[in-house]
Amino acid sequence: MFFKNYRIVIFVCALFFAALIVLSYHFRQDAGAGLAKKMVLEAAAPLQYVLSSAIGAVGKSWDRYVHLVGLQEENDRLRRTVENLKSELVQYREDHLEAERLRQHLALQHQYDFKFLAARVIGREQAALSKTVIINKGSAHGLKLGMPVVAPAGLIGRLTDVSWHTSKVLLIIDESSNVDVLVQRTRVQSILRGAGPRGCTLKYVSKIQDVKEGDIVVSSGMSTVFPKGFLIGVVSRVDRQEVGLFANIRVTPFADFSKLEEVMVLEGERTEIPKGKTKKQ
Amino acid sequence: MIFYLALPCWTVALVVFQNVLADVLFSGWLVIEASLVVVICAGFRLDIVRGLILAFVTGFVFDCLTGSVTGLFTLLYMMIFLLTFFVSERLVTEKLYIIAFFSLICACLETVFLILFYQWVYGINLAGSLPSVFFPQVLIVCFLSVGFFHAMHRIEEVIYGKSMQSPQRTGTL
Repeated sequence: MFFKNYRIVIFVCALFFAALIVLSYHFRQDAGAGLAKKMVLEAAAPLQYVLSSAIGAVGKSWDRYVHLVGLQEENDRLRRTVENLKSELVQYREDHLEAERLRQHLALQHQYDFKFLAARVIGREQAALSKTVIINKGSAHGLKLGMPVVAPAGLIGRLTDVSWHTSKVLLIIDESSNVDVLVQRTRVQSILRGAGPRGCTLKYVSKIQDVKEGDIVVSSGMSTVFPKGFLIGVVSRVDRQEVGLFANIRVTPFADFSKLEEVMVLEGERTEIPKGKTKKQ
Repeated sequence: MIFYLALPCWTVALVVFQNVLADVLFSGWLVIEASLVVVICAGFRLDIVRGLILAFVTGFVFDCLTGSVTGLFTLLYMMIFLLTFFVSERLVTEKLYIIAFFSLICACLETVFLILFYQWVYGINLAGSLPSVFFPQVLIVCFLSVGFFHAMHRIEEVIYGKSMQSPQRTGTL
């Protein structure tokens, strides 16, 4: 009857007593609760391992994500750097090519004893009606109407319009262009007329004259415009038809007119001849 | 019977989880004492036999897994359970600020008990750790209890259609 009435109190007291025993056992043995503690630790170990691994994996994923965000930023930064370096490289390559071209122009100056003025092509008009280019030098720089214009590859035309700071060059491929020329091998004299996209043609060459494909055509120097001996082009086709007196001769200019960037305007003969050089005839 | 069989497993899982979480979040600097919140909740929800056994097992597992003096938290949790159990007849747990305040008091009592125990048994003064360790832990328990009780209310409403706390104990009869 007593136990029935006070069983809750007895239960509470028993539990508190058990707790106190565990506590006192700890102090007495200084080794915890022995078997019970080992069992709890054993039971907890797998769960602790799984949880630690899972949370560790999540932590690693988070770190990786943060790292990836960093990588993305670094990637963007490097991409921008690559773009900048690419444009810089293009600029350097452009400068290098320009230097090469200018070196060729310089070589041209040494090759001929003429006074040259370098000019940059700033515009071109190669439509059906006319084949001209605009250069960035004009009368302010000493240019005059009719001056011949050359490129490292050879003669390209003459000045037809000269303003103060720009000039127009009529190319030798223009249909209205006529240049007095010589076939270098046989010294056959002729008139080189522009033929537009087909290049040039040699006019008034008799069918019996010795001209064949591969012959080099140079300026004859007969006119007052173009000096003698400038390379112009190569004979690419000779057609001797039965009818007519003259042969139909096609000449391909040495210069590529579609790629002209810098040209040299021939201002006149050089007054001082460099040391070790003789004036070419 | 299921309660008594599942209790050790759930307790071990709870203590392990709170330890791992505390280790991840605070690098072992603080303890997230969810087990204390469970004991307080048991004081409001369970009868004295089941609750006291839960407090005993939870405290013992906590002692075993945290490396504290074995039996210390067992004793503490049982005392807190009894305090909560007797107070629960006067408190309505639907009011979360009361729960928060009561949990704060329980956590403070636990802290005071621990400080006194270590001072008395080992002669170690833990009062220096009050602002950096015990105060944050008390706040954590306070916030945890609010969330835990709120979640319990929701779960009970979903499962049973009403809160499990008996009207006799809350005085709402």
